[in-house]
Amino acid sequence: MGLDRRSFISLVAGGVVGSLATPVVWKTLDDVSIWSQNWPWIPRLKYGEETLLPSLCKLGTDAYGVQVKLVAGHPVAAYGNPEHPLSRGGICPLGAASVQLLYSPSRVRSPKKRVGNSFEDISWEEAEALLAEQLKSAGKDVALVSGDDTGTAAEVLAGLVAALGSQQAYFMPSEGAAAAAALKLLGGDGLVGYDLEGADYVLLLGADALGAWGTTLRNAKAFADGRERAVRVVYVGPAMTATAAVADAWIPCTPGTEGVVAMGLANMILERRSPSKVAGLAEFRKQAAGFTPDAVATRSGVAAETLLGLAKELLAAGKPLVVPGTTAAQGLAVSDAAAALAVNVLLDRINMPGGVMVLPWGPKVVAAAPDKKAMMGRDVVGYLAAVAAGNAPAPKVLLVHAANPAYALPDLKTAQTALDKAGFVVSFSSFMDETAAQADLILPDSLTYERYDDAYTPYGSGQANYTMAAPILKQPLFATKAAADVALGVASKLGADLGFASFEDVLKAKAEALGLDFEAAATGSVWLGTEFAVQQLDLAKVQAPASAATAADLTLVPVANLKIGSPKVATPPFGTNAISPRELQGKDMVVAMNAATASKLGVRAGDAVTLSGAGGECRARVRIFEGVVDGAVMAPLGLGHTAWDAFSRGKGANVFQILGTQADVAGFTRFATAPVGVRKA
Amino acid sequence: MANSKSSVVLPFLVGVVASLVLGWWAFPKVLYSQKTQPIRFDHVVHVEGQAMTCDQCHTYRENGSYAGLPTTAACADCHSDVQGEDPEEQRFVTEYVQQGKEVEWLVYQYQPDNVYFSHIAHKDIECTKCHLDVANMKNPPVYYENRISGYSKNTMKMWECERCHAQNGASNACFVCHK
Repeated sequence: MGLDRRSFISLVAGGVVGSLATPVVWKTLDDVSIWSQNWPWIPRLKYGEETLLPSLCKLGTDAYGVQVKLVAGHPVAAYGNPEHPLSRGGICPLGAASVQLLYSPSRVRSPKKRVGNSFEDISWEEAEALLAEQLKSAGKDVALVSGDDTGTAAEVLAGLVAALGSQQAYFMPSEGAAAAAALKLLGGDGLVGYDLEGADYVLLLGADALGAWGTTLRNAKAFADGRERAVRVVYVGPAMTATAAVADAWIPCTPGTEGVVAMGLANMILERRSPSKVAGLAEFRKQAAGFTPDAVATRSGVAAETLLGLAKELLAAGKPLVVPGTTAAQGLAVSDAAAALAVNVLLDRINMPGGVMVLPWGPKVVAAAPDKKAMMGRDVVGYLAAVAAGNAPAPKVLLVHAANPAYALPDLKTAQTALDKAGFVVSFSSFMDETAAQADLILPDSLTYERYDDAYTPYGSGQANYTMAAPILKQPLFATKAAADVALGVASKLGADLGFASFEDVLKAKAEALGLDFEAAATGSVWLGTEFAVQQLDLAKVQAPASAATAADLTLVPVANLKIGSPKVATPPFGTNAISPRELQGKDMVVAMNAATASKLGVRAGDAVTLSGAGGECRARVRIFEGVVDGAVMAPLGLGHTAWDAFSRGKGANVFQILGTQADVAGFTRFATAPVGVRKA
Repeated sequence: MANSKSSVVLPFLVGVVASLVLGWWAFPKVLYSQKTQPIRFDHVVHVEGQAMTCDQCHTYRENGSYAGLPTTAACADCHSDVQGEDPEEQRFVTEYVQQGKEVEWLVYQYQPDNVYFSHIAHKDIECTKCHLDVANMKNPPVYYENRISGYSKNTMKMWECERCHAQNGASNACFVCHK
């Protein structure tokens, strides 16, 4: 029997029909679909031993201990560290995203040299040789801007700059610097801290303690504990911030008048109690006398009886504490800080349990470096303004470390002009931030989890503290290098030996200077200082604060928010999910004002508006919120990046573009609020 | 006419039978490659000989997550030196313990990354409900690896999870297993 065409077709048809009753088709389809889930470019989970290692988060404006979970040696998550005094198990939005940021698409993965309008990847040997060559030819015309005011890395870099003969080493603006300057103004010496855990009444004059001010996580824990002890927390400020929303009372005031309120309180306290042993009291009394309840009410909008109530509460409390600050967590006026300090002095709250604690400056181990006290006493905003205006020589080489001055400085246009004038800008940024994007050379720093790092007494701490972090990754993920190690190497090449072969050696010396065992410190042991320098404060030196932008009809109130970012880092991918339509709508930043202000300006909820300020204009949409005082416009800081990555670039506007500055006492600049104009776009 | 009919029906039936045979018998043999464990681990000698319980080697971590298979270091608690006469034990000690290497055990039921499975949430269910009864095996079973998907033949499919959840009143919402 031959197989004719008809039989063959029947055979095939039978085969097809039969195969439908077998797993061949169905199983193959299923397996192919599973195979398509496992293409090699799809990330795979790591399996293996799980470990928790202590480290530090310095991505915000403070620094605190975290624990990083590793699986088979790969970091996968960061948690709060219950053992660390500044976090007590808490973690901020940037800390929560810190492991994610290791793999951020905006990370600079190797040294880069500017060639025309773009960058060229170069080797570390070439990069360090180029840096050495530029520094050599610059001579003394070198400057440093660092955003790491707690770490020893900045000490090493400042040591390099000083060894080259320059005194131009600056920190980015911080409230810690303003508070220390206020203390110095009154004749004190040290870092300013607040024993929030010990106080039984806390008056926050603008300090958004549960937002982004000071030791944010510790503040939250202290206030949570305080609830059980019936500690009363009162917030004075122009907007219902995160802190105002949960405080026992929110007392609205005109933006930038918290110092005026402090002076009014001082006046009322002096009328009721005359403290003994306070130097300069007679002169201060004369100053404070001008701040009558009515005068304060006129300037600040805080009614006389409200102010009297506050003064009475302060006098009645056993351990009251007055804390100055801002919603921007920077730009605090030294005069405002001094006024708040004066109230604490009148209440005998200096170096007392639950009071203002004067903490010692940390030990310096790089001999060539300037004292941190001297560095914190310099105003980077003023320096860059002078460079921009031609009143100070532009540095031939500008080193930028742990900072993004091309994005995060007030009067931004001026700061950018100064950066443009600098001969050769070197950015040590780990990320392609705005400063790196316009730098001539990028020497990418490793992130904290990839190198040694440390933090000495972040601003606000109630007692001196020191935390060290050893690298938790054996090798950096990319071709990055610790900035301090680069500085030590280059110094050695230039014949300016800083005395150490590696940053690890510097930290060994620092641990020794603090009497701390290096191995213990590197594995998470935190040093706590228990000495508080005796202070002889003289109130005669308090300079009465002026209200910020008193002549303005409309005032900008920038609010820092860690989920959006910090002066150091832009919004991490995790943060994008947490930004609400109250902060960003589409690509427009949302600013809040109350109905009366909106009516006066002729705008409605949802309207697109143009904000104009000192340095330029930006676009926003209006939100009506009665948690903002009359004449104030509340705007979120941290949006409007032009570099970085898709998670933060091109979203909203950068408020620093329109944030003007105002000269303050002690050579500082205040910019926590500024005049603003609003018109329909 | 009869001839014509048989030249259609018979080949059709032959085709059906042939594809059924190929589909049910030959296809699985082609689809799966056979692999053996790097070390012939004898569960019986541990469970019966040493009276060890499953959770002495297959442990939970402090946070409740499941550590899975023991590390070489954990095995070396007993096997830092050769204990018996089994040549496989000797090979394990010389090739893995002494060289500090982890054994690349073939896991019969690894789930894809997109499946979240908590062992501790299922700890009251018999292990053998889902796993092969290796505790009673002197020789580890052959590992069948799917040549297309790369997974073990014994990897549990979603419908099996869903059926058990449904039978036990546990939620079958997507997010229960897909986080």
